[in-house]
Amino acid sequence: MIPGRRAAVLAAALASTLVLAACGSTADQQPAGEAGAGGVKTDKGVTDTTITLGVMGDNTGPFKNLGAGLNAGNQLWADDVNAAGGICGRQIQLEVVDHGYKADTAKTLYPQLEPKVLGMVQLLGSPVLAALKQNLIDDNLLAAPASWSSEVLNNPSIMMIGTTYDLEIVNGLAYLQQQGLLADGDKIGHIYIDGEYGGNGLKGSQYYAEQHGLTITEAKITSTDNDLTGIVTGMRGEGIKVLVLTTTPSQSASALAANQALGLNVPVLGNNPTFDPALLDSPAAGALGALYVAASSPPFSSETPKAVEVANEYKQKYPSAPVNAGVHTGYVEGMVWQAVLEKACEAGDLSRAGVATALTTLTSVKTDDLVTELDYSSPGAPPTRGVYIAKVDPAAEGGLTEVAPLFTASEAEGYKAPYQQ
Amino acid sequence: MTTFVQLLVNGLGKGAVYALLALGFVVIFKATEVVNFAHGSLVLVGGYLVYELKDALGWPTAAVVGVLAAALAGLLIERALLANATSADHNGLALLTIGIDVIITEEIVRRVGADIPFIGDPYDAQPIQLGAVTVFRTQAIALVVGAVLIAAFLLAFRYSSWGVAMRAQAENREAAALMGIRSSRVTATAWLVAGALAGVAVLFIATQDFSGAGLGRGTHAIALVAFPAAILGGLDSTAGAVVGGIVVGLTEALSAQYISFEFSKSAVFLVMLVVLVVRPSGLFGTKELSRV
Repeated sequence: MIPGRRAAVLAAALASTLVLAACGSTADQQPAGEAGAGGVKTDKGVTDTTITLGVMGDNTGPFKNLGAGLNAGNQLWADDVNAAGGICGRQIQLEVVDHGYKADTAKTLYPQLEPKVLGMVQLLGSPVLAALKQNLIDDNLLAAPASWSSEVLNNPSIMMIGTTYDLEIVNGLAYLQQQGLLADGDKIGHIYIDGEYGGNGLKGSQYYAEQHGLTITEAKITSTDNDLTGIVTGMRGEGIKVLVLTTTPSQSASALAANQALGLNVPVLGNNPTFDPALLDSPAAGALGALYVAASSPPFSSETPKAVEVANEYKQKYPSAPVNAGVHTGYVEGMVWQAVLEKACEAGDLSRAGVATALTTLTSVKTDDLVTELDYSSPGAPPTRGVYIAKVDPAAEGGLTEVAPLFTASEAEGYKAPYQQ
Repeated sequence: MTTFVQLLVNGLGKGAVYALLALGFVVIFKATEVVNFAHGSLVLVGGYLVYELKDALGWPTAAVVGVLAAALAGLLIERALLANATSADHNGLALLTIGIDVIITEEIVRRVGADIPFIGDPYDAQPIQLGAVTVFRTQAIALVVGAVLIAAFLLAFRYSSWGVAMRAQAENREAAALMGIRSSRVTATAWLVAGALAGVAVLFIATQDFSGAGLGRGTHAIALVAFPAAILGGLDSTAGAVVGGIVVGLTEALSAQYISFEFSKSAVFLVMLVVLVVRPSGLFGTKELSRV
C-alpha cells in the first residue's frame, strides 16, 4: 500500500514538473517583439486592438477606502481614453487584482498578472513595492506606485507620479512658515512610522530644519503603535511649535486627539496618507481641524477645473462610493501612462522596452494641474516637486478643503533626493 | 514637572485597566492553577457584542450585555472544555486555552473586518482639564470603576462563602474537597468573574483615549500586556495583580518619555524579569515550599 502511494505521489510530482516545464518553454519561445497593427512593435499586454495595464490595489486591507478611490480613478481615466478612441488605435483594458496590502499575497498574484499586462497603472503600498522590486526589474515592467518614497527612485521600473514624501514635508513646512505658524529656530516634533514611508518623510523635515535652524524632536513608531498620547505629552514638554506626522490615519487621529486634549494645540502637518475621511466618524473627529495635509494631488473638493470634472464623473458613475483623494490620484496615474504610451506609439514601439525608453524622453508631462508638470529625464530625481495644501473640514466632500493651490517652495527646488544625480 | 505629572496621570489610568485584566488571570490561577491564555479573547467577546448592539440597544444596555457575555463565555469555556478534560494537567489545560484564544480571536477579528470600532461612546475623547494637567475621562472612569470592582472583589474574597471556599481550594484542594467544598462550583465561578472583569476592561481599552485604536488585534495585544502585570505581582496574589497593573502602566508611560518610546515596550518585561530574579513568585506571590 505504502509503496503504491509513494509511486503515485512521485508520478504526480513528475507530471506537474513536466507541465510547468512545458509552460516555461512556451513563454521562452515567445518572440521578444512583434510588429503589430500600424507597424508598431509589441510584446506583452498589447494586441492589435487593446493595451492591457495591471492594477495591484487594496480592496480588502487597511487602505480599502483609498484603494477603492484609486481603482475608480484608474477606471475613469480608461473610460475617458476609450471614449475618445483609445491610444495608438487600441482600447485600454485594466486587469485588476486585490492584494489586501499583503506583500505575500502580492507575490503570489504577480506571476499570474505579469504575462497579461504591458505595465501597471497602479501598484499600491510600499511593502508590496519592496517585495516586487526585483520582479519588476527582471520583467522590465513599468509600474506607477501608489506610494511616494524617493528611496525607490533607483529602480528604473518605477514611474513615480507626483511629489515624494520628503518634498511634501519640505513644502508643507514652508507653507506653515509663510503663514506665520513657524519661525526660524523653532522646535518641531516629527512622529514617523518605521520603514520607507516614515524615513522618507523624516528626510524632508531634517532638510528643512537645516535650512531654517529648526530643532527636531523625533519619535519612531511601528505600524501597531496606536496610542501616541505619551509621545505628544513629551513633545509638549519640549515646547514644539509644529507637529509633523508621517503615520497611518489612525495614528494621526491619536496624535491629533492628544494635541487637543493636552492643550498643546499646535498646527499639525501630515503626508498625503495621514488622512482618511473615515476619521471624521471616529472619537477624534473634533480634534482633526489642526491637520494640514500636503499632497501632490488635489483634495476631492478642490476647485481646480480638471479636479472638478473628475469628481463629477466619479459621483455620477459611483454614486454610493466613498469619496477621497484617491480618485484624482488614480486618474492622474492614467494620464501619465497616456503620455508614455503616446510617446512610445510615436516611436513605433509599444513593447516593454519601448515604453521604458519613451518614459525617459518625457521632460514635460502636463496633467491639467492634477499634479505639477512632470519631468522623467533625470532618473533618480523626483519627477516633480509641487504640492497642494489641504485642511480637514468635515463640511467638504472627502473631508479636506484646499487652502493653498499647487505650488513649489524654493526650499523644495533646492532639495537633493537620495538617488538624485 | 508638568510633563512628569501628566505622565503619572496617563500611567495610573492605564494601570487601572491592566489591574482589572491582571486580576482576571489571578482569579483563575488561584482557583485552578491554570494560566488562562484565552483572557484576551474574552476581552474581544465582550467588546464585539457592545459594538454589535450599541446602535440597537443604546450604549448602557449594550455594555451590560457585553460584560455578561464575556462572563458567560468564560463560564462556557470552563464547563464545556476544561471541565471535561479531566485527564489533562495544569500545563495541558493552559495549552488548551491557547487554542481557544486563537479560534475566538480570529473569528472576532474576521467579523469586525476593517472597521476597527471604538466602543467608549459616553466618555471617550472628552478630556478634563485640571490646571496644566489633562485627565483623560476614559482613564479617570477606568480608575474609579477599577477601584470599586477591585475593592468589591477583595471584600468578597475575604468575607463571602465563595471567597472562603476559593481560598480554601487554593490552599489545599484535597482538604477543601473533604470539607465539602464543591471544586467545580468554585472553578466555574472563578471563570465567570474573570470573564466579567475582561468585559469591563474592554469598555476602556477600545477607545481613542486608551489605545488610540478600536476593537481588533491591538485590543487583544493589550490584554496580553496585563500578563506581565499578573506575573510580577505574583500569579496567586489578588493584591499583587493590582500593584502589578499599576507598575506596568507607570513603567510604560515613564520609560517611553525618559528612555525611549521603542524601549518602553520591552521595559515592562525587563521589570518583570528583575522582579522574578529577586522574588521568583512575584512581589506578593506565595513562596512555594517543598519538603526535602
